[in-house]
Amino acid sequence: MQEHHPSETSVIRFSVLHRFLHLVVMVGFTGLAATGLSLAFSASWPARAFMWLMGGSAGAAWVHRACAVITYATVVIHGLWFLYYKWVLRGRLTGPHSILPSLKDLKDLRHNVGYFLGTRPQAPQFDKFSYMEKIDYWAVFIGMNTMGITGLLLWFPEFFTLWLPGFFINLAQVLHFYEALLAIVIKFFIHIGMAHLRPAVYPADMSIFTGRATAAHSGSNPSMKPEQ
Amino acid sequence: MSGKAWTGLGIIAVTALMLFAAIDKPMVSEMQGAAGARELVCLDCHRRPNVNTNEGVATSRAFCFSCHATPESSTRNLDDRNISLQVEAASFQNSPHRFVACVQCHTDVARSPHRTDMGAQCRDCHTVHGEGTASAPHLRVDCQACHFTHEAVMQDGDTDRIRLAAIDGAGEMPPLTGRVDHALQDTTDPETCRRCHHDQNAVGAPAAVLPAKSLLCVACHPASWSLNHPLFMLAALALLVGLLLMVRFWFVGSVKGEDESLHQKIGLTSEAVWNTLFSRKVLIVLKTLLLDIFLQRRILKESVQRWSMHALIFVAIVVRFLLSVFTGVLFSLNPDGDLALALIDKNHPFTAFFYDLSGLMILLGIAWAAVQRFVVKPPHVLTEIKDNIALGLIGLLVVLGFVAAGARIAMTGIAPEVAVHSFIGYPLSRLMDLLPLDWRIVYPWLWYAHAVVGLAFIASLPYGKLKHVINVPLTYLLEEVDGTDKSKRV
Repeated sequence: MQEHHPSETSVIRFSVLHRFLHLVVMVGFTGLAATGLSLAFSASWPARAFMWLMGGSAGAAWVHRACAVITYATVVIHGLWFLYYKWVLRGRLTGPHSILPSLKDLKDLRHNVGYFLGTRPQAPQFDKFSYMEKIDYWAVFIGMNTMGITGLLLWFPEFFTLWLPGFFINLAQVLHFYEALLAIVIKFFIHIGMAHLRPAVYPADMSIFTGRATAAHSGSNPSMKPEQ
Repeated sequence: MSGKAWTGLGIIAVTALMLFAAIDKPMVSEMQGAAGARELVCLDCHRRPNVNTNEGVATSRAFCFSCHATPESSTRNLDDRNISLQVEAASFQNSPHRFVACVQCHTDVARSPHRTDMGAQCRDCHTVHGEGTASAPHLRVDCQACHFTHEAVMQDGDTDRIRLAAIDGAGEMPPLTGRVDHALQDTTDPETCRRCHHDQNAVGAPAAVLPAKSLLCVACHPASWSLNHPLFMLAALALLVGLLLMVRFWFVGSVKGEDESLHQKIGLTSEAVWNTLFSRKVLIVLKTLLLDIFLQRRILKESVQRWSMHALIFVAIVVRFLLSVFTGVLFSLNPDGDLALALIDKNHPFTAFFYDLSGLMILLGIAWAAVQRFVVKPPHVLTEIKDNIALGLIGLLVVLGFVAAGARIAMTGIAPEVAVHSFIGYPLSRLMDLLPLDWRIVYPWLWYAHAVVGLAFIASLPYGKLKHVINVPLTYLLEEVDGTDKSKRV
């Protein structure tokens, strides 16, 4: 594979599937946020302007549901990818290439904070994914499930109240709103800050789009062999 | 002046104003007597209960029921027949409409003279069915004909619509204008369809209940997004397996030096595709798509005659496919839009004309190819059995399509001025009318024959000659992007 690389040190960090899914989530999540916020803060002028563009609340509702379906589809595909990784590629879910949290993440966190405070001379050597990236990933993965479940309750209230008490719809409404705000704040501020505004990659880390990163930029251990 | 005097003056002034206003407007009785020309809408002056609340609905309905609850107070003489306009309150009890006021559906009855021109307005709240539930021919069926428990249906000679009927003493079927049980039919029960779909029906319905056109039919027709018949599932399975085998075949050889791991081969291929799409090479892809694939430049370079022949078939199928997908998406987004309704209606002038014209183009292209192959036999045409199968399939498919369209027009008895826009189907239906056949019974057979041939066509895409539909565009793209020497082409 090495001969296709634009530069000697770059490695393939994200497969085409993961790049593609990231693009889909970017579009889907932004669509969800724009339509959802316009409903939640419908009195504000940007919301009114956006609703006008969407052809009223019915159009926005349709866009919201379409975005929800494609965004949740990416969660399902990621779940299937874990199975494929484990059973077909024979990858180790606890290995250094895995996105699953490990004990090393806690040590890295402690090390990194020490580095920020000046008590440690060097930044930690992360595995393929640093604890920051893992938080980013799992925040979305778990968040999309809560949003999906509460969203389904709000989408099909007649069906769910056949076997759940009515106040679950109110609960779903509250949870859907606060989880949405949390997700939006995390994605648009923390995620973009942690992924792109780090000194090593500033102004932007393009590896999720190009699939390639130099070992130094990705923050991972340069001695770590690329996964076969 | 004292406060009391001011108050008294105020009352006098207001009363005078009100009197003036009252005198200025004629009294209601005067207006009715004056002309009868202008009808009066009750709710212009009278307050309407808030029908968005259950109390409002009950109040509003109680007002209607003060007459319509009993036969005595609601019998009217229409066309020299005494017709009861009684509505059974009990029929609402288990209906989804139990919290809906009468005037929410009967929107034009609150007026004087008290009568309706439009009947109940189902589509103020509900949309029409798409291809999935009850396909396009049902656009001329009144909602009540299926959704009410009343069983008698007829084709109204004046409006050509299928509607509920009454059976009078003479056994005749006048339109049902009188009392109707408002209870709704359980339409999930397929037996409901038998109300029209039986051998002896008088409304021009096929004798069998046919499945909705499936996702696979979207290659040529507006269709539903489902596979709701074993035949469709079988064909979809064959198509899927064929496509998988085809893709598997592409990855048998080595990919950029990788011989073993399928995972690596797919990874390297997708990497190459990604790098092409997100680079300047995407312009080459777009150019090839337009010139070589859509406009078929390479066939044109070979010979104008071959291009014309192939384009007749290719352009017609592509345009049918694109319009069908567009119709499906548009109908999903806005089923009440005029455009979506026109495009799913087989009898709409544009739709009828378009599908007949494109069908004719395919048929001409096939006939031309057959003449080349079996009569002219130029040296470059090497006839293989595969080619004949593909030509035969498409030709038979279109012929059966036209015959089925003719049978549909003959069976449903659409008015000639509407049906004539189907410029092949209508003349065909005139000829078919001469045959001593009951098209209500023949039509389902024709429909299934067309469907089976169509499914064979779709399912054979990844197997026989039709494989070129996928392989040739892909080869063109690979050649143009990788800059393969064209002399190496096989």
